[in-house]
Amino acid sequence: MKKRYQQNLVIKAVVTTIFCAISFVVLYPLVYVVSAAFSPGVGIASVNIIPFADGFTIEHFVKLFTESDYGKWFRNTLVIALSTSVITVFVASLGAYVFSRFRFVIKKPMLMSYLILQIFPSFVGMVAIYVILLRIKGLDTLWGLVLVYVAGNIPYNTWLVKNYMDTVSKSLDEAARIDGASHFRIYTTIILPVARPIITFLAIVSFTAPWMDYIFPKMVLRSVDKQTLALGLFSFVTDKKNEFTTFAAGSLLVAIPFIIFFIVTQRTMITSFGTSAVKE
Amino acid sequence: MASTLLPHDGSAEKKVRIAATAFMGLAHIIYLRDHVKGFLFAFIETLFLLCSPLVLGKIRDLITLGEPQPDLPIKMRGNSMFMLIDGILMLAVVAVFVIIYVISVRSARAGYREYCRKKRFPQKGESLNATLGKAFPVVGIAPSFILILVFVVVPLLFSMSVAFTNYSAPDHIPPNKTVDWVGLDNFQALLGGEASWSTGFARVAAWTLIWAFSATVTCYFGGLIVAVLLKESNLKIAPVFRVIFILPYAVPAVVSMLVWRNLLNGTFGTVNRTLMALGLIENPIPWLGHPALAQFTCILVNLWAGFGYFMLLSMGTMTAVSQDIFEAAKIDGASRFQVLKSITLPLVMYQTMPLIIMSFTHNINNFGAIFFLTGGNPTVADSTTTSAGGTDILVTWIYKLTITLLKYNYASVIAVMIFMVLAPFAIFNFRRTRAFREGEL
Repeated sequence: MKKRYQQNLVIKAVVTTIFCAISFVVLYPLVYVVSAAFSPGVGIASVNIIPFADGFTIEHFVKLFTESDYGKWFRNTLVIALSTSVITVFVASLGAYVFSRFRFVIKKPMLMSYLILQIFPSFVGMVAIYVILLRIKGLDTLWGLVLVYVAGNIPYNTWLVKNYMDTVSKSLDEAARIDGASHFRIYTTIILPVARPIITFLAIVSFTAPWMDYIFPKMVLRSVDKQTLALGLFSFVTDKKNEFTTFAAGSLLVAIPFIIFFIVTQRTMITSFGTSAVKE
Repeated sequence: MASTLLPHDGSAEKKVRIAATAFMGLAHIIYLRDHVKGFLFAFIETLFLLCSPLVLGKIRDLITLGEPQPDLPIKMRGNSMFMLIDGILMLAVVAVFVIIYVISVRSARAGYREYCRKKRFPQKGESLNATLGKAFPVVGIAPSFILILVFVVVPLLFSMSVAFTNYSAPDHIPPNKTVDWVGLDNFQALLGGEASWSTGFARVAAWTLIWAFSATVTCYFGGLIVAVLLKESNLKIAPVFRVIFILPYAVPAVVSMLVWRNLLNGTFGTVNRTLMALGLIENPIPWLGHPALAQFTCILVNLWAGFGYFMLLSMGTMTAVSQDIFEAAKIDGASRFQVLKSITLPLVMYQTMPLIIMSFTHNINNFGAIFFLTGGNPTVADSTTTSAGGTDILVTWIYKLTITLLKYNYASVIAVMIFMVLAPFAIFNFRRTRAFREGEL
């Protein structure tokens, strides 16, 4: 018995050591970014290899808001993300409701084509999207970008929401229909509240995705005052200039909300990952 | 009135069908007394007929893609790309019209059968209500349908078409010059026709597959091992480690990849400076400067960024596995290792298999991981012509071909090929969705 106990202790020590090593590798770049954000200097070459050894300054944060357009980038990205989220939820849930509750002639072929369409990465049609936006005067506008985001994700999201609505019993909306409620009323007062979990999920996913997308903003948005966070942050560390400390400060401000959100929701995510994997 | 004489025994079905086919809505108006629907259909057909000269013109342009007009000023010349897009849009409009036509004929037939069954026409209010009720699905789907048509379907058809044209710099960029259909020339050039292009393509395609495979496998097993260790070790501080391990997954890819790019920089990167200060190495290691080493670094950094996701996934599946199996195994006297080897791991692997496939297809298109970490660099032998560097995968190469080289034709060929590789995976994933299996689609 004692031997078993000692063996366990050894295993625990080994595992802990391994975990500490992994943690070091995982945390190293993150800690370094935090330290760079508060270190004096400009490029990565001038930042001390030991984190926080050069002293403490908030000049980069000040610089972000006074010398660069960080505030503008943040506002643009927020506008894009919010509109994408709202429009996606509306369009996808309405479509999903129709697919889930109605029978009509071209339902099968449409659902099928949605599934096939969602496998194409949307950048495949990059040139065409550019020309189309050019022709409807959507180039270099935020709404043009929002349209691209919303359209690109509809096939997948419609399926996602439809699958969820299919599991919800039809008795509620049938009762409402007998009482004479219109389809739209049923959709807003019965279906949407019942489908709240998947709607929330959809809203969050479509809100977070545009924050760090690079290809489409790069293609659609040209003028200086229409840049997004991803474009702006990337511009700090191009081949021509290296303002790593400012980049670190800017990244920190974006990454922190994301990290907090993930840590808060990780328990839910573990279970939802688990159940979704089991269900499929 | 012809309509009053319509027999209810079903014998006039042919007459109804002929009228419905002859002109949209005709049967609704003259036989079925369904004026709301009938005039709506008739209106759509009239509108389409009025637009047909325009539609036909656009489709003719699609076939010719415009003639060279060197004598006209650039602004007045026809733009082949606009012709291509407009032509495809018009084909889409024609397709929608045909679908509406089919629906109208079917609706006329259904209306007649209803009449035969009830021996009378629907009352005015009834018909209107039914039409309004049926209009809801149409209105509900219309926004997504139009958006998908314009921003997903048309662009896709466009890209596929461009693969068969010579749309490329320097000689075929509209509006200066026109673009022509060239058949399979581009496929031929990339698959063996032009030496540097075909070697470049083979190299990038091979690396894309190696990358997608190793990136998926390392992240999957990395995450799985960590998850198993976390669960089996019974450490009190396991939750702390779990939060730490999930951090890379939570940081947006643009940020983490750009950070690594700077840390691993060959000359002034922190990693090299630290290793040199510690006296572990004499000369800086070209982490991202030597093709093979840079590829290896890409996979390592991707492991850093991606194992947290698979850790979460494995933990989720492990907690979802029923406890009864473990109890049963314990009673049968299985050791912890045996339980792990023959119960936990097979179950987790079985259930996460579809996600591995999804992750593989995701990595084939993992633009961010490569573009922000290396930008496709370092350069190799064929980079001067093809612009593809040592770590470029097909997607980042498409980006470079489109943005910097303006070789749209080659970019489209590659996109088509990626699709042909990915389509089987997508169909596989589709076939195992619940809706498909239960046949309720």
